[in-house]
Amino acid sequence: MQGIILFLLLASTYLMIIAKRVPALIRGFRYQSFFLFLATFIAAFKENQVELYVVSVMIILVKVILIPYFLDLTVKKINVDENLGLFVNSQLSLALAPVFTYYSWVLSVNLGFGQGTLQSAAVAVAFSVISIGAFLMVSRMKAFTQVVGILIMENGIFLFASSVSGGMPFFAEIAIFFDVFISAVIMGIFVFRINKLFTHIDVNKLSRLKG
Amino acid sequence: MVMFIILGIPLLLAAGAFFIKRERLFGMINCFGYFLVLCASIFIFKEAVSTGNIKALANFIYLDILSAVFILVISVVAFAAALYSIAYISKDIKENIISRRKAGFYYLLFNLFCFSMFCVPAVNNLGMLWVAIEMTTLISAFLVGFYNSKESVEAAWKYIIICSVGIAFALLGTILFSYAFSISGLSKSLNWSDMMPVAHVLDKNILKIAFIFVLVGYGTKAGLAPMHTWLPDAHSQAIAPISALLSGVLLKTAVYAILRFGIILIKSGEMAYFTHLMILFGVISLAISSGFILIQKDLKRLLAYSSIEHIGIIAIGFGLGSPLAIGGAILHIFNHAVTKSLMFFGAGNIVSAYKKHNMNSIRGVIKALPFTGILMLLGMFALTGFPPFSIFISEIMIITAAFAKGSYIIAFLMLFFLSVIFGAFIFYFGKMFFGNLPKGMEKSGEPLSGKFAFLFLFILICGLGAVMVFKYKDLLWIAQRLLQG
Repeated sequence: MQGIILFLLLASTYLMIIAKRVPALIRGFRYQSFFLFLATFIAAFKENQVELYVVSVMIILVKVILIPYFLDLTVKKINVDENLGLFVNSQLSLALAPVFTYYSWVLSVNLGFGQGTLQSAAVAVAFSVISIGAFLMVSRMKAFTQVVGILIMENGIFLFASSVSGGMPFFAEIAIFFDVFISAVIMGIFVFRINKLFTHIDVNKLSRLKG
Repeated sequence: MVMFIILGIPLLLAAGAFFIKRERLFGMINCFGYFLVLCASIFIFKEAVSTGNIKALANFIYLDILSAVFILVISVVAFAAALYSIAYISKDIKENIISRRKAGFYYLLFNLFCFSMFCVPAVNNLGMLWVAIEMTTLISAFLVGFYNSKESVEAAWKYIIICSVGIAFALLGTILFSYAFSISGLSKSLNWSDMMPVAHVLDKNILKIAFIFVLVGYGTKAGLAPMHTWLPDAHSQAIAPISALLSGVLLKTAVYAILRFGIILIKSGEMAYFTHLMILFGVISLAISSGFILIQKDLKRLLAYSSIEHIGIIAIGFGLGSPLAIGGAILHIFNHAVTKSLMFFGAGNIVSAYKKHNMNSIRGVIKALPFTGILMLLGMFALTGFPPFSIFISEIMIITAAFAKGSYIIAFLMLFFLSVIFGAFIFYFGKMFFGNLPKGMEKSGEPLSGKFAFLFLFILICGLGAVMVFKYKDLLWIAQRLLQG
């Protein structure tokens, strides 16, 4: 069961790689967060821990509902061209993604996580989600992708934390959720401001400061 | 508990910024509040030196000498910035650059920013440390983009994105540290005070990988080259008092985070690894910053690159690891904070008088702004490590330690880059400060509260240079205690 969820998590990440438009990217993020919720919820059910239940509720509240809703709202408000502006086209990106996943697997095995059990698969998925998030940030033009890319990386880190050390201490976990939410909102505000001042949100055209 | 005063006053002032609409009055209250914080932090420093460590709130707050040093540095710069803000903000309102409402917003963000920086050295939990550092980024992004011009919003965007990605790697490193802790069969915890005593039993290979992530992550925030690219933009576009806070203390809070993890690594017996990494990044920072300083045209960017240089020196100091070098690095953190704040305040005055950043079109500062000009010229000599001032003492301590350790190449590289930077500074400041005034410029008055801020910092710059000659044994004792936790 957990294996299937890990697979779905990775598949939803690949879905974001081939997305060409902003709404598709946000939808992909919503799916990914939902599978993250399922993974945490099953872990909570198995270990019967109240704290993990709370964390999974937090995921559904913050990452599945609030952040995507807020991002959708910003997209509607700024009303610009919804294309992501790909530096690397989606076919090539899709071809690169398995390479990231393979090296994540190699890294996970070499670091000695779980010795071939489900844990090492989980760590490999986590690393590939992190690296794909970073790849998306650098290979897309629109400022939105940077915001979503950071959120994807954060999801990967969360998966990594819950698969290697059973998550962070509860209090720190909640604080990090709060922090992620605030950072998404603040980045959204800055996307809004960039659009107002520059009348576009292409980060490759932000080149006033040099040297 | 004195620590609650330090954390509480900025929060109270942040709330007060909502209600008190007269910015001049509020500026004075703000300044008084930070004076109290400064007194409290001196008290905490004394207590930490005499008792070793202080815990509170069920181990949530943990202070030792290392955190006390950083709290002291933050409160000194915050007090000076609060003092300088009074005149700076009133002037901006008078010239219709910002509105009254925006001034209230400024004080709200200023206080929240200081609060989040005070949280960094106070918390015990390494996860909360991460949250506090991310909070400093999020709040100060608004202060960088405060004037809402194209340049400042671009700088704020770069700042928030690059630092958030960097810090995501630091979170990964933090998780690896907690993994190393949990596989050694100990109970789940991220408290530094729990991890430190058992550092020697943790898995060294995992700690090494984790430290790389932490160094790259928090190093981005600290402005270590080559992860420094956000720094010159953010520092040059922020408002002058905030530039001082960013460069003087925000970078240091990230250095503090690196040190917290570094101490665990050193305790586990990997001193050489820590030394190599810190010195590598330190030397790269010195090299890159000296290159950019040579070709710089913008006054505030020049100062920002100089911050990268000094962070490099601090990294080398901690990397060398002998008590002399660590004492030098601690002293350098303080000296750089006060000197660079003075320089950024001066740059703020110059920019608001001349209305431009470009050093080629700024001439005759000594004639236009005599007080700022003279103090900034002295500050320039202090910043580049000229003898009577305090930065000279800390730099010579680090270089002596490098020679004593036999690392001649590092000492040579440091001296070489420092002399290049010294030459570049003399060249640019000589051109800017002397010569005739540009047409249409007249000698302008300077506000009193700004002058007080300059004098306060200048006394610290000169004073420490003199005092340290007699007190260096105490400093070495503190440095020795630091790495023991």
